[in-house]
Amino acid sequence: MIGRRNGAGIPVGLLVLVLLPLILMPIAAVFVFAFRGGPGEFLKALRTEDAQFALRFSLLIAFLTAAINAVLGTWAAYVLAKHRFRGERPLAIAINLPVAIPTVVVGTSLLLLWGPIGLFGKLLAPLGLQPMFTPAGVLLAHLFVTFPYMLGAVKPLLDELEVTYEEAAYTLGAGRWQTFRYVILPALKGGLFSGTLLTFAHSLGEFGATVMVSGNLRLRTQTAPLYIFAQFEAGKVAQANAVAAVLAALSFVIFFFLLRYSGTTGKERT
Amino acid sequence: MRSPFRPRLEGGLVTAAGLALLLYAVWPWLPVPGRPARPRTVVFYGFSILGEALNEDVLPEFARGWRQRTGERVEFITSFAGSGTVTNQLTLGVPAQVALLSLELDAERLAAAGVVAAGSWRHLPHGGVVNRTPFVLVVRRGNPKGIHDFSDLARPGVRVVHPDPMTSGGANWALLAEYGAAARRFPGREEEAGFEALRGVWRHVVAQAASARAARTQFENGFGDVLVTYEQDVLRDAARGTLPGEIVYPPSTVLSEHTLVVVDRNVAPADRPLIGALVQYLWSETAQRLFVRRGFRSVDEGLNAANPAFGRIQDPFRVADFGGWDRVKKEIVDGIWKDRVMKEIGK
Repeated sequence: MIGRRNGAGIPVGLLVLVLLPLILMPIAAVFVFAFRGGPGEFLKALRTEDAQFALRFSLLIAFLTAAINAVLGTWAAYVLAKHRFRGERPLAIAINLPVAIPTVVVGTSLLLLWGPIGLFGKLLAPLGLQPMFTPAGVLLAHLFVTFPYMLGAVKPLLDELEVTYEEAAYTLGAGRWQTFRYVILPALKGGLFSGTLLTFAHSLGEFGATVMVSGNLRLRTQTAPLYIFAQFEAGKVAQANAVAAVLAALSFVIFFFLLRYSGTTGKERT
Repeated sequence: MRSPFRPRLEGGLVTAAGLALLLYAVWPWLPVPGRPARPRTVVFYGFSILGEALNEDVLPEFARGWRQRTGERVEFITSFAGSGTVTNQLTLGVPAQVALLSLELDAERLAAAGVVAAGSWRHLPHGGVVNRTPFVLVVRRGNPKGIHDFSDLARPGVRVVHPDPMTSGGANWALLAEYGAAARRFPGREEEAGFEALRGVWRHVVAQAASARAARTQFENGFGDVLVTYEQDVLRDAARGTLPGEIVYPPSTVLSEHTLVVVDRNVAPADRPLIGALVQYLWSETAQRLFVRRGFRSVDEGLNAANPAFGRIQDPFRVADFGGWDRVKKEIVDGIWKDRVMKEIGK
């Protein structure tokens, strides 16, 4: 330990110097600018109807996205991990693709598919349904964009899981559901937790796809990131920064729990 | 020493924090007794510079009046962007009931897409025009380049910041202002004078922004010597002294006219009286006075004296003086600017 600490001053200092303007200062700036007018101004900016709606709406969408994708993602991971079939790899790649596609592209394709001129949109129109530019449209976009996170957190654990445990459970007379509930699920706990948190965090910050499908309606579909953007565009930097500071603080908390619970699974803490 | 139940306590706390966050998120939608019923909502789209005037003055005033008369609460869901963007969103099906566009051309595009009935806005008061604002020049403080008219933009060494006519409604008005100012000075050879004026200006365009707002941001960030924009957008900051420049009124310029459309297919039968009242209200003296206070010029000329900041324009003109937007788009924007000027200067 002592040997490693010796001479660390220069490389560490250099790293901090490079990271300061790149990463550390922008993080600090959010809070500095948010509180520049004093805590009174900060609270006033947060208390406006629009800001409150944007924060609540973002959280609501994040909760729903995390809940739905937790189930969908785990199911997908289970199917992919347990079954060998033709086209398995292409399917696995396709459902992991949402992380790689630019989110704006996701937004446009959802609009073209579900919008009034799209394939689904045309089918839904006679029923009087139009998901785009409504909260449902925002949820669809978030489900798409965050789908791979749950899968990515759970599938490696399933791949590692010894088949023998499952076989033992079946031998002992356990049903499919019982085996899943009492043998597989406990083994996935860490992955489920971190996957859900990651999904939640990404949904909370989603911008590119949301801006396309939401129609940016205040008090109806305006999420917190869209609110920040709109306020900044209108030159209301204080309003934008107050909500930005809340979002940043929330993501710190989520990140803290991610590190605390999943980063250390199976390893001894020192 | 780790106590055996600490992890459990911590898990409980985390769960509680999560639940608290969830409760906060769903709170407004919970059926708490004694809470007033959800208000009726009107979805209102507008082009970019309208945001403050509508959100802070004009629409809240209508909601107050409506509540006094009927006891009902009305909530406005609004969205503001470049006029072209708003038009595209409406075509894609956003649930707007009312939209205020920067130019009638966008209303025509909506009619062509079947979103509104053709010409329906012309049955509204003043042919659908809610308010106006002239196109002006903004120069650096002290006017170091001595710019007094659109023709000065053609002088060597002048750098112009201009919104992009492909995406910005304001930019189309600006084109008409530059063309029209020259055409009116040389009666008899309007087209050639206008063409030369546009060529002179566009040789010196150094930055094209997607909207009038964005062009203004570029100018404020130090680009260019002169900005062509709506008077309304810079009037307030100029009066406050926060505009990094000063307004120059060309002797002859266009008054932009902003057109209201009602998207009937998005208006439920039960909401027709509400939307009808809102539309009539926009031309009422109350609303027009609020627009004037926010720097828009009223369609009722008598009210404009209330804002002393309005500059004097010797020879204001309108799009009707050049045959309306159909003709201006075809003959001036496409025929002269796009096909001749842009080809010649190779942009």
